[in-house]
Amino acid sequence: MSYAYLFKYIIIGDTGVGKSCLLLQFTDKRFQPVHDLTIGVEFGARMITIDSKQIKLQIWDTAGQEAFRSITRSYYRGAAGALLVYDITRRDTFNHLTTWLEDARQHSNSNMVIMLIGNKSDLESRREVKREEGETFAREHGLIFMETSAKTAANVEEAFIGTAKEIYEKIQEGVFDINNEANGIKIGPQHSPTSPTSPSGGLGGSQGSGCC
Amino acid sequence: MELFKSGFKTVLGGGGEQKSTGQDATGAETVERLVERLITSTLLDDRRDACRALKSLSRKYRVEVGAQGMDAILNLLGLDRVDTEIMTYAVECLLNVTSPELLDDEDPNVKGIGEQFTEIISKKPENIANLLLLLEEYDYKIRVPLIRLMTNLLTNRPKDVQEILLVSPMGISKIMDLLSDSREFIRNESILLLIALTRNNASIQKIIAFENGFDRILQIIQEEGYSDGGPVVEDCLSLFLNLLKNNTSNQTFFREGNYVKKLVPFFKLPDDPELGWPTQKVSNFYHMLFVVRRLVSPLNPSHVTQACQKSLKACGILECLCNIILANGIPSETLTEAIATVAEAMRGGRDNQEYFGKVEAPSDPPRPVLVILLMTLVNERQPLSLRCTVLYCIQCYLFKNEKGQNDVVKTLLPASTEASPGTVTSGQLLCTGLFSRELTNNWFSAISLSHALLDSPTQRENLLKVQLATKANTPASTLMNHLILVLQQSTKWQMKIGLLQFISLWLENSQPAITHFLSNPNSVPFLINQITSPESDEKEALVKGVSAFVIGLCLYFNPNTVAAYSKDNLIQLINNRIRMETLTDGLGQISKSDLYLHSLKHPQLLAKHSSDLVFDHSFCMVFKKYESLIVLQLSEPNNPHHSHENSRSDINSMGHMVNNHQSPNDVISRYKEVIRTQDETIEGCKQEIGELKDKNQEFQGKIEEMLTEVNQLKSQLALAQAHRETFELNQQNNRANISIEDHNAAIAQKDYLIQQLQYRVHELEQSLSTSTKNPIQEELTIKLEEENKVMVEELDKMKKDQDELLELLTEQDNKIATLKTTLRQNGIPVEDDQDDILDEHETNGHGSGDLGESLL
Repeated sequence: MSYAYLFKYIIIGDTGVGKSCLLLQFTDKRFQPVHDLTIGVEFGARMITIDSKQIKLQIWDTAGQEAFRSITRSYYRGAAGALLVYDITRRDTFNHLTTWLEDARQHSNSNMVIMLIGNKSDLESRREVKREEGETFAREHGLIFMETSAKTAANVEEAFIGTAKEIYEKIQEGVFDINNEANGIKIGPQHSPTSPTSPSGGLGGSQGSGCC
Repeated sequence: MELFKSGFKTVLGGGGEQKSTGQDATGAETVERLVERLITSTLLDDRRDACRALKSLSRKYRVEVGAQGMDAILNLLGLDRVDTEIMTYAVECLLNVTSPELLDDEDPNVKGIGEQFTEIISKKPENIANLLLLLEEYDYKIRVPLIRLMTNLLTNRPKDVQEILLVSPMGISKIMDLLSDSREFIRNESILLLIALTRNNASIQKIIAFENGFDRILQIIQEEGYSDGGPVVEDCLSLFLNLLKNNTSNQTFFREGNYVKKLVPFFKLPDDPELGWPTQKVSNFYHMLFVVRRLVSPLNPSHVTQACQKSLKACGILECLCNIILANGIPSETLTEAIATVAEAMRGGRDNQEYFGKVEAPSDPPRPVLVILLMTLVNERQPLSLRCTVLYCIQCYLFKNEKGQNDVVKTLLPASTEASPGTVTSGQLLCTGLFSRELTNNWFSAISLSHALLDSPTQRENLLKVQLATKANTPASTLMNHLILVLQQSTKWQMKIGLLQFISLWLENSQPAITHFLSNPNSVPFLINQITSPESDEKEALVKGVSAFVIGLCLYFNPNTVAAYSKDNLIQLINNRIRMETLTDGLGQISKSDLYLHSLKHPQLLAKHSSDLVFDHSFCMVFKKYESLIVLQLSEPNNPHHSHENSRSDINSMGHMVNNHQSPNDVISRYKEVIRTQDETIEGCKQEIGELKDKNQEFQGKIEEMLTEVNQLKSQLALAQAHRETFELNQQNNRANISIEDHNAAIAQKDYLIQQLQYRVHELEQSLSTSTKNPIQEELTIKLEEENKVMVEELDKMKKDQDELLELLTEQDNKIATLKTTLRQNGIPVEDDQDDILDEHETNGHGSGDLGESLL
């Protein structure tokens, strides 16, 4: 399936806050209560529609453990959006947000859209971080904010799509240089004005249009 | 003066010195001097000269340059980065020193020296960081050796260097950026660097994917003309293979990113077959097929493989591959790999299998591709590797493919014989192969057929209906019975092992098949005969093992339908004839054998020689599943059950008597009778007890005997263990000695190095002391020389003056002489002492007299 744009996302945040579960819920629409620890980085993808345009989201789910921090830093530069996740039932994951944000701002391009996500909203009884606290933090640092539940799928779609909308608007405003792939944005194959089309490539393209 | 000269030469640089000392100084000394200069020189020009000289020596004296100069050169990378020229020399020098290959005229003993030097470099991460910083230098002269140097480092110590690069900020990204270099040569070199970088490191592989690695490389492949491109395409594909190896995330990324579709032009056969297959094209194609196989490998998680299989079909690659299989003029190795690729592209994927089942060869009449493959399979003139791959393809086609299995079995059933003459069916080919005289044909056919039954109770039953008429007059026999007959007559291990595997997969979990098998009076005796006959070699032992497994299956799935071989009877038979242990040993023969373990690992059998055709992967899987269950079944004791039933019937019979006899006399007499019989029984029991007591004593005696024996054995064991321990200790000692020797050697080497270093330190100290003096001396020298020059000049002037004065004097003398003669001629007396002088002057300046005269 062809797309108008491709956005690269990263998901960051402390270990165990539910980053991989958010991705699985978004790409596969399922929840896996027992999940292995993410090693390094895992990949997922999904197509969404914004403004009647097909947009492909390429999502890189990073390991939250400190040991992988240096590896995951390699992913900041080329990402257009980041989901910064904490766990509303664990205060410490909220307290670490500043560190995460500094890290992200330092290594990413300045236009990267960051969405703050308080995950596990289904566990209201064990809540340690108030919704208002998340909102305040987001406002102070210029982030979008949302509380989600990867288990019940509440707000999961909205979080990913909301981030994409923000990026899309930035493109419309001309903030992003879409020809620079280092920004984490790619123009779809048929939309690209500079894409070289060799005769053989064109042939293959027309024949295999049904491919995934 | 000599001292001054050498002083000049030091200032001029190494070139001059090398020439002057080259005759008598060894390479090591020269290197030492150059390194010294590199460290001590304060002038950039001097360091550059030294570095240039070291670079030129680094090929011939790699060990010396590496051992002595490495630190200095590495320091240089941090200090003199601004000077491109010196950096180029430094990098080229390191490039030679770390070369994983032997340089020209090098002693093979120094092999691995490049790795040792790499270890030194990679011990300090800042060295790698400095190299990464240098990557920003755009100059061709430095970029090329730098890329090669990093390739060397990654080739020599992949893990260390990868880890350093991974944690270096933007390390991988900087290397990726090299791919965008507009200079083709640099781009190609950086592909080689990326291949070394991505080898077996999932984290780096993913970052490369994140950095649009697949896009960039695919673009290069496209620009180079796909399979018609040069070795660059092959390098690109090697990089792909690295990125996709054991990396589920990247495999998913590859599929999700629609990259599979972009590979399609690779598989288009040229319109003009005359173009042929140059070596590079064959190689490119081979690599490309391998990329596809990596995406659909049976070892991947099944959901990844299945999703990729769908992509392959959807974008037409499966179709292209089938065309390649059936096309003419494809080189054998390409064809083999293409068949394996088709195999994995459909293994377990129903749609793709169905598509494959419908593909027909463009022959006349058109034949299904499966028949074409089977014809190759049972043709012993075809290369073995091709036949193995064809078998793999057939297996993959039939894997979890009920319809495909049914189609094959159907061609064996009587109903299908009405097929028009001239057409060949898969059943015919398989049957011919199964009973042919050619051993590999037997084996291939048996294994292929077994896959038509795998996991399918229906096909196992259907195959029982197959009738064979071997000779015109004899009545038709079933396939199973014929197999048993052939097995009995055969003396070849390969045929037996093939057919027995086929039978195993037939009997597995199929009561009708087992019933049929056991009904043949020759089946069990044959197996027992196999198990009990002495084995002559490894392969015979394996035949024994498979025979044991077949008996085990008969036991485990026994339906108790054949009286002679019911479960109990079979157990008794085994106990009496072959003993349980022999059976379990037989099974152990298989699970221990390397051939079994090898086949278990991967569905594709890679046989180098026809005698490697032993175990099939599916058989191994089934064997693994049932081996322990069968052993468990054999060890389950059934005897107590029997005796328990006997004792209960006695009591019943007594109760029966009590109830039925009513009259008192009768009752009394009956009781008496009962008492009598009871007495008899008691007597019998007493006797039995006595016997048992005796036996008990006997047994106790035996137990005691055994206990003492056990104790003896225990002490023996302890002794043996002690022996073993001492032996092991000795061995350890030996090993330790050896390692001590090694260490000693290493120490000696290090001593030598230390000596050298000490010598160097000494020299350095000396040079330090001289160098502290030097400036003053040099100044003095220059001053003195200048003074000297002035003096000499003055001297010259004075000499000249003197000469002039002398000349004037002579002239004056001449004049005086003339004047004196004139005076004498005129009669004026002249003083004597003046005469004396005159005389002298007359002899001296005789010739000049005329001159004086003429002057006057």
